[in-house]
Amino acid sequence: MLNFIFIRIIRWSTGLLLVLLVSYAMMFYGGGDPIKQMFLDELGNTQYLDQTMIDSERDKFGLNDPFIIQFKRYIFNVLQGDWGTSFRSQRPVLEMIKPRLWISMQLGFAATIVMAILGIPLGIIASLNHNKWLDLSIIGTIITLNAIPVFVTGPILLLFFVLVVPIMNVPYGWDGILNTQVILPIAVIVISTIPIILRQTRASMLEIMNEDYVRTARAKGLSEKKVILKHILKPALTPVITSLGLVMITLVNGALFVELIFNIPGFGKMSIDAIWDVDHPLIMSTVLVGTLIVMFSNLVVDIIYFFLDPRIADG
Amino acid sequence: MGDLKNKSKSLRDIALKRLLNNYLALVGFVIVIIFFVFAIFGTILAPYDFLSQNIDRALEGPSKDYILGTDPMGRDVFSRMVFGARTAAIVAFTTTIISLILGVFIGTIAGFSGGKIDAFLMWITDITMSVPGLLLAILINATIKPPISSLFDALYQSTENTIFLNTYMIDFVIVFGAIALISWPSYARIVRGQILSVKQQIYVEAAVSMGANLTHLMKRHLIPNSIGPVVVAVTQGIGGAILLESSLSFLGVGVQPPNASWGSMLSDSLTLWRSFPHLMIVPAITIGIIQIAFIFLGDGINDALNPKQTRR
Repeated sequence: MLNFIFIRIIRWSTGLLLVLLVSYAMMFYGGGDPIKQMFLDELGNTQYLDQTMIDSERDKFGLNDPFIIQFKRYIFNVLQGDWGTSFRSQRPVLEMIKPRLWISMQLGFAATIVMAILGIPLGIIASLNHNKWLDLSIIGTIITLNAIPVFVTGPILLLFFVLVVPIMNVPYGWDGILNTQVILPIAVIVISTIPIILRQTRASMLEIMNEDYVRTARAKGLSEKKVILKHILKPALTPVITSLGLVMITLVNGALFVELIFNIPGFGKMSIDAIWDVDHPLIMSTVLVGTLIVMFSNLVVDIIYFFLDPRIADG
Repeated sequence: MGDLKNKSKSLRDIALKRLLNNYLALVGFVIVIIFFVFAIFGTILAPYDFLSQNIDRALEGPSKDYILGTDPMGRDVFSRMVFGARTAAIVAFTTTIISLILGVFIGTIAGFSGGKIDAFLMWITDITMSVPGLLLAILINATIKPPISSLFDALYQSTENTIFLNTYMIDFVIVFGAIALISWPSYARIVRGQILSVKQQIYVEAAVSMGANLTHLMKRHLIPNSIGPVVVAVTQGIGGAILLESSLSFLGVGVQPPNASWGSMLSDSLTLWRSFPHLMIVPAITIGIIQIAFIFLGDGINDALNPKQTRR
């Protein structure tokens, strides 16, 4: 078992290293000059730009060193908890990320809870009424909702609740999680992630329902309630956990749009701003954190699955 | 039963017939066709040029002259939507082809060779999939622009061909690269899975035991029996690529103004929607309808090609 977890951790951590290497290389060889960009934004034009000034500033950040040395230094620093200093704000990146990430995590966590509370029961209801109108209407709604991207549902909900049914003020900005402003962003995230969990619940319920041991349970005279609760529900809900990884990717991607549309100062908004500012340490950290979240949830899913399904001995 | 005519029909005919009997898929198909007609014949169908401005009539609602109204610069929204369809179609087609080639190539090698090569390729695939796709696309978009621009400059210097001065093309090349690089893993996985499962079928073993060579195996058994899921994935992939293009343009890193893209039209309207809702409604609803159409069509093709698999 320890062996299994060890192999998984090695697999994902080398993967993470590769991701960092590739993104660092992309920025080193491709991206614009961050220092030049910084001076440009401050001065407004290239007229007063002095190459020696740029070079000395580049030296300060160690940007004139060869690629391998820079990358090695970056990795060692990250491992020691020093994620670098933002070129733009001259503040430690880790300090900048923490409050932003906390906001996004609160949003994501609240949305996940709402999604699970709505999605799992709806999936169960749909599967129990397989191919009846209730099932078809739930699935039809979900397919339709699944098709519409986050950056479309967001604006449409905004329009609807502010112009057509004016029951809200402009739901912009961030005032803590316990505020009416978070209702629409959470609704948008839930709409985009609920299809994953609902479809998974319904599919695995339908699969388990056709198993022989369920028929045996019915044949020996158990009540329908007992069959569903004891024999179907428990094995059916375990695969739902595997969709957690998919949900996490959707959450991280969706955060970019939701935070942009509703003007929430979270992690997603910060990563877009960082790319526009050519702020290398900040970009690297957003890639690192985003990938870490997805990989970590994959790792957790793998380990949970190992305990739930003894057939996966040494994958 | 016993109808010989029916039996002699090819798989393609039967699948097509099933597809045509599926109303939802048919609706999706019609919408997709309309989308491509607008994308291809946009210059003829659009009432105005997508760049021509009429400042006197800026920010008007839908009227007889401008069926979907005008934007802050006095440009016709309908014409811009038509040109946005062209942008979306070009990006969707090219990126799907690039990522399909990449995915089929990697998936086939992984599925055929097995062992360490397979493990390595699947490791790469897993890693690519675990980087949040949009973040990766934005990063690629932001970082490959300077080298591509200088490459185009160099090409212009050496060939004197003005086509390389066109920034529209640079945008497209970058968006193609970004989207293709994040969408190949799903194709690779599907192809690998198909090849692994078909490889173990008894008829393949029989063909091998009778001395079939690799080309025969590919032509007669592997490709025909594994093409179904790939076709479905491609249908959904085109829809996904349209979505990604508008996502990137929405975030401001895709196709740059003044070129029309649905995503950038939507993001431009974010500051104006309270007073001029038509600017937001038109692109938002269009993107939604196109996405639903591609999903319906993909599901329909899936049902037509895999009748045994009940939809769940």
